[in-house]
Amino acid sequence: MSVVFSDAARAEFDRLLTRYPEREAVILPALHLAQKEFGFVSDEAIVYVAELLGVSPAKINGVATFYTMYNRKPVGKYHVQICRNIACSLLGAEHLIEHVAEKLGVKPGGTTPDGKFTLSQVECLGSCGTAPVMQVNDDYHENLTAASIAAILEKLP
Amino acid sequence: MTRAMETVITTHFADDGYRRIDTYRGFGGYDALRKALSTTPEGIIDEVKKANLRGRGGAGFPAGVKWGFLPKDLSRPRVLVVNADEGEPGTFKDRLIMDRGPHLLVEGIAIAAFALRAHLSYVYVRGEFVREARVLDEAVAEAYAAGFLGKNILGSGFDLDLTVHRGAGAYICGEETSLINSLEGKRGWPRLKPPFPAAVGAFGLPTIVNNVETLADVPWIITHGGEKFAAMGVEKNGGTRLVGVSGAVNRPGVYELPAGTNLKEIIYTHAGGIKDGKALKAVIPGGSSTPVLRPDEIDVSYDIESMAKIGTMAGSGGVIVIPEGTCMVRALSVLMNFYAHESCGQCTPCREGTGWLKKIVGSIEAGKGREGDVELILDLCDNMMGRTICPLSDAAAMPAQSFIWKFREEFDRHIGEQKCPHGNRF
Amino acid sequence: MPAREPVLTETMPTLTINGMTVDVPQGTSILNAAKEVGVEIPHYCYHPKLSIAGNCRMCLVEVEKLPKLQTACSTEVTDGMVVRTDTDKVRKAVTGVLELMLIHHPIDCPICDQAGECGLQNYYMKFGLHKSRYALEDKVHKKKVQDIGGQIVLDAERCILCSRCVRFLTEVTGTRELDFFSRGDHSEIAIFPGRPLDNNYTGNLADICPVGALTSKDFRFKCRVWFLKAFDSICTGCSKGCNVDAHHKGDILYRLKPRWNDAVNQAWMCDFGRLTYKAMNEARLLTPFVRVDGERKVAAWGSLLPDVAFRLKAAADKGGTDRVAVIASPQSSNEELYLLRRLATSLLGTKNLAFTHRVAGDGFADDFLIQADKNPNSRGAQLLGIPGGAAFDAMVSKIAAGGIDALLVFGNGIGVHSEEETAALLAKVPFVVQVGTNEGAVSKAATAVLPSASVAERGGTFTNHAGRVQRFRAGFPARGKAKNPIEILVSMGNRLGAGWTFAGEASVFAAIAGTEAPFAGMSYDSIGVSGQAIRS
Repeated sequence: MSVVFSDAARAEFDRLLTRYPEREAVILPALHLAQKEFGFVSDEAIVYVAELLGVSPAKINGVATFYTMYNRKPVGKYHVQICRNIACSLLGAEHLIEHVAEKLGVKPGGTTPDGKFTLSQVECLGSCGTAPVMQVNDDYHENLTAASIAAILEKLP
Repeated sequence: MTRAMETVITTHFADDGYRRIDTYRGFGGYDALRKALSTTPEGIIDEVKKANLRGRGGAGFPAGVKWGFLPKDLSRPRVLVVNADEGEPGTFKDRLIMDRGPHLLVEGIAIAAFALRAHLSYVYVRGEFVREARVLDEAVAEAYAAGFLGKNILGSGFDLDLTVHRGAGAYICGEETSLINSLEGKRGWPRLKPPFPAAVGAFGLPTIVNNVETLADVPWIITHGGEKFAAMGVEKNGGTRLVGVSGAVNRPGVYELPAGTNLKEIIYTHAGGIKDGKALKAVIPGGSSTPVLRPDEIDVSYDIESMAKIGTMAGSGGVIVIPEGTCMVRALSVLMNFYAHESCGQCTPCREGTGWLKKIVGSIEAGKGREGDVELILDLCDNMMGRTICPLSDAAAMPAQSFIWKFREEFDRHIGEQKCPHGNRF
Repeated sequence: MPAREPVLTETMPTLTINGMTVDVPQGTSILNAAKEVGVEIPHYCYHPKLSIAGNCRMCLVEVEKLPKLQTACSTEVTDGMVVRTDTDKVRKAVTGVLELMLIHHPIDCPICDQAGECGLQNYYMKFGLHKSRYALEDKVHKKKVQDIGGQIVLDAERCILCSRCVRFLTEVTGTRELDFFSRGDHSEIAIFPGRPLDNNYTGNLADICPVGALTSKDFRFKCRVWFLKAFDSICTGCSKGCNVDAHHKGDILYRLKPRWNDAVNQAWMCDFGRLTYKAMNEARLLTPFVRVDGERKVAAWGSLLPDVAFRLKAAADKGGTDRVAVIASPQSSNEELYLLRRLATSLLGTKNLAFTHRVAGDGFADDFLIQADKNPNSRGAQLLGIPGGAAFDAMVSKIAAGGIDALLVFGNGIGVHSEEETAALLAKVPFVVQVGTNEGAVSKAATAVLPSASVAERGGTFTNHAGRVQRFRAGFPARGKAKNPIEILVSMGNRLGAGWTFAGEASVFAAIAGTEAPFAGMSYDSIGVSGQAIRS
């Protein structure tokens, strides 16, 4: 059950190759591309990227498992990532995390049964001035309160 | 001391259009690049040296000196890498620059690359900054279209290629050699030094790695001169700093202030003092890795040398304000979780030490601390500092040490009473 | 960083270490310079044949004028450098690193094969001896007992993450089946699911792993290493002649490990070669016997040897020397081949002398160690004037045509012939004498079988494919009633009037050096432990 890049993704991959003096520099961008194309970085995605670059799957897996943003297992439609680092914690992040966990009915790290939300606690997102902060898929949401989080999650289709 | 309240970087950030090239140019954008290209690389490096521009990523290394480390021999191409991996908790200034002033960064990169005779550059943006990377990508495309990047920039004969490269979630990649390894497609393990990046860097080529803010300072320095920049700050720390204030303050945010502004003033005047009328309990002054300060220690000039003198660091300019009522053990536990999570795992002391610190501090906070745990933490910190390939191990140990030195009774109480006196809450 | 080869220049920087001075070539690390004056600096990740990792942090030393401790493996000696490894600061650092390395380490010693040759055990006894300050229940657990392919079992929990294995698979085999997954103290060495080790050098991983994380499947649970003794030998798996240490308990071999020789195999050997010790343990010919009416009858050396010599000579006298043939073995030593040639050509007077080859459907070779010729001494046979190839094929044709009355065969098989083919071939010869080590096609058909000592039970030299003459040694006396082939040949020769006074392999080699041009001027002394190239 192998996977293959769409024409558009393959074109982007080929374009990326031209930007670096060494082929393997595209490994991180290629994994982002694979995650977008295939939903998550599966074993098949890893083998595919490895073959494109002529390196061992172990090497690609070593890279994929080092960085937190590559999901080696599928996540829900919306990955709700709430920061639990120092500035956010000082402004009540742990309460918010508990609140969201209760509301969604999942423990941090878990996914709702309908597959819509995965809740994660993450480290500093680099927006401490607007703490508490969360990232849902690609988007930052800042200055959070229990109410504003509820509103954000409710609006998601 | 006279303070010029002139800003270097954030001057036009309030204008939403500033991130588009037309508005940027309307404010004089890319004039500095034009001027720079008509001078010499040596001249530019000189100007930056005169400016006393200290690296703004956290280490504070003089930028002009670092630029001078490239080999004289031009046979191997050079690379300029921009560190936009902003990950130090409490730091959020580079995000602002990329979002509101991407062209300022691009112009700074172009001038620096010219000075370094580098024709290849990469901006390594932390993976979570999806939006900022996109904004920067758009600015880069505009710059190429307008001839400020690419071949024969402004007819000068100077070529420069710039690529925005996204990370994927690893604080350690803020360390320059880890960043280079990540750029090369590897796990983010820092490298042994020597060789330093200026000798063997990205793709084996001579490389300079600079922080976003450092490079964003460069166009102003070219326009107004290094001496003027230096004069805005203090003797060994020229210019302004982007200081990010977070935590329990009324007006958290980024403040561009002259280096040498008083830290108390930063917190109480600029950031509006402590929220909810509370008293101040502690300040982490330069990002989470810097030793914590008590309220009686913050009447100090916020510049690199002065902060070092009192046993901490100005670091990445991230001031984290901790109010009364905060459990310092819990706060430390949050930080220890962070470093354990972020340790790359390459060196024994950091890999195992950060995990152990997390366990001990966590168990003290949970009311399960044992007699001797505090001494164990301090001994462990001793074994972790100065023993590793990169300073993440020290970055974990310094908060642990300073929290214990300055808030010892809280740790003793947790252990003695076998519970958190604050009810396991902040 | 890549391992740097020290460069001999006019100026040799001087290092002072723990008060002793030593001059070393430019580019020498503190670690290696220290060795020169007998200072052992503890280390795990450093390996002389791999790039420098500097990540285990065990080799921290104090360098004068530098505020932080430096890793000795990655720091080059500069002239006038002063280093100390015997200060409290260094001792505390080393103990500290060791303690951290041990906090998650499982208490597997009682069941771990590495016990007795384990880096953690050794350094703990030297630098640790501390009580654990880490709760047992807090240890991070990782996957144990994984068959990851090749000859290796992986126990990720025992791993100290030194990265030697990943570097070996990247820099030596280029196959990189292992890598680090995750990060921090959950970092774990593993293969990618479904992609096991797939190269011919997996056994080396168990050698380079300082602990019991990567161990040999073949050796697993077989013997505690403190019961093993080692002796120098040469692998007989192909014509590369990798230098090996053979490990044995009594007269049973347990494993082969590569012995360092930069001129031949650096620090490595192939997986096939590693298992060649088994043939020395199993299915051995240990008793001389004759075949009477198709049945084996035990014989005594005292009567059998003269009888065999007599019958070979008789066949030559009766039907002519052309009716006698000798098949030599490229598994025999230079010394044995020399004596056999003299026996065949001078004493038996026959021209029918050739050495058999064993390519056995294999013939695989790579650009590293593995040679297509699966015999250790074809080159030796050639240099000593014994032809192979076409000459051997012609001889086999002669035998098949019924043209041979008496055949002396060295070795356990004839070329690539199957048991049936060999039986059919030998049925054409009224008198077949075998000198061999193992049961096989020949021992099942020969008229007289003279059991030979194995490579582990005798001494001699092989000449490898590149013309390097290398010594192998006896580790223990020949098993059963097997005899050293030199003894067999000298005895037979003297029965035929040779008047040989050779008293062992060294004296035979001296004769070779005296008369055979390629070996002129050589001696066991000049060959030493790392061998010597023949004159080209």
